[in-house]
Amino acid sequence: MFGYIRIQKSELLVREYDAYKAAYCGLCKRLGKDYSFVTRFILSYDCTFYSIFLMSVRRSCSGFKDGRCRFNPLKKCKFCQCTDDADSKAAALSVILAYNKLIDNIGDSSFFKRGLYKLVKPLFSRWRKKAAKRYPELDEIVSEMMMAQAEAESDPECGLDRAADPTATMLARVLELEAETESERRIYSQIGYGTGRFIYLIDAVDDYPDDVKSGNFNPFKDIQENKFDVMSANLSQAAASVFDAYNLLDTVDFRGIIDNIILRGLPSVQTEILDKVKEGLYEGSV
Amino acid sequence: MKDPYEVLGVSRTASESEIKAAYRNLAKKYHPDNYTDSPLADLAEEKMKEVNEAYDAIMQEKKNGGSAYGSAGGYGGSYNASSEYANVRVMIQQNRLDEAERILDGVTGDHSAEWYFLRGMCYYRRGWAQQAATHFQRACTMEPNNMEYRQALNNMTRQQGFGYGGYNTTGMNQQSQCGVCDICAGLMCMDCLCRGCC
Repeated sequence: MFGYIRIQKSELLVREYDAYKAAYCGLCKRLGKDYSFVTRFILSYDCTFYSIFLMSVRRSCSGFKDGRCRFNPLKKCKFCQCTDDADSKAAALSVILAYNKLIDNIGDSSFFKRGLYKLVKPLFSRWRKKAAKRYPELDEIVSEMMMAQAEAESDPECGLDRAADPTATMLARVLELEAETESERRIYSQIGYGTGRFIYLIDAVDDYPDDVKSGNFNPFKDIQENKFDVMSANLSQAAASVFDAYNLLDTVDFRGIIDNIILRGLPSVQTEILDKVKEGLYEGSV
Repeated sequence: MKDPYEVLGVSRTASESEIKAAYRNLAKKYHPDNYTDSPLADLAEEKMKEVNEAYDAIMQEKKNGGSAYGSAGGYGGSYNASSEYANVRVMIQQNRLDEAERILDGVTGDHSAEWYFLRGMCYYRRGWAQQAATHFQRACTMEPNNMEYRQALNNMTRQQGFGYGGYNTTGMNQQSQCGVCDICAGLMCMDCLCRGCC
């Protein structure tokens, strides 16, 4: 369930795009520094969004530094410089989420893949321990979410809202950690809840054809009429609630980028995935 | 109080039209209509007040102590008091959702339209939009003429059209939604109607 919180590049200013790339590369570098070279591969757009959000509300990005990409030494890139632990925290969240995703994958994949996942599990578990030591609250929130998710999905009566609740609550609580006042806490909470709900639902839409084939749990299975309208309406509503809450913040740093992600990125990801799934389903039925 | 120029995001040398434009944009952004039923409505209202005050202050200053500008403040939804579930409404307004839900779920027998509306509102405040939409729909079907329920459902529909409808106008410079085709269609409809009567 990674990589749905993206920018829409064509609508960004060039300097905003550069800043976004610098945040992305900065997080990649931090993953390498704090954990290992291999963890750079788990870099995701979602955690870049988290990192940018942190830098935006804390005003902690102090500038950009020139450097070279590890994967392509010929390519020059810029890296975000933080005055605090915004990128470290985002890196920790990436590692913790990746570990939990791995555990989840071991549960429901084929024999060969499962063996492969089990092979890399000790590595991930070591990194996760390191991240959890630094940010015990993040680890706790994510593990509670995993438990609540399993519980919700084992309930045959579990509706769409309840299925999406654990992921949404998780992100709400993660963002709430940054709040200093009560009103900030409420705003961050709604941003997190909406974003989490969006991520969960779009992932469910994306996996829908596979889940129907394999018989795995999917929150949209029970919906009989106008399935695509229901999908679209719920996704849009989640995005709208994020935007409403975000509008109440007075942040200036990275504002254009975050506006772009919420107003352009989310709807375009939504359209892209929905179209893909629709096409696939119609072809399959013919 | 915050610097009014900072609140509106304009420079001290800005012209009156620039200030007005900035004020209009912000007022549109924080407009209570955007936050109908939202748990953050009170925060939006505060922002709106801040913007109004800043605008008034600047205008006052520009006019050098001239006449005071009428403020547009004082928004905020008020629930009608004469209802079966007055206490539940208060709880919802104060975000005490657990208590409200406990009372609502304790009601046995056939549920009234208001029950569906309030239960939907609890779901909505929690972010459970699918359930909320179903409950609002139900309330509206039971009492089609109730404006309060209708408004909640309309608000829901507006959010469900995010990114496709007229929603993303705040913050982005977009043309108004009324195009030439709309005008033509409107005129044609009017024409038909007129012929019908005469």
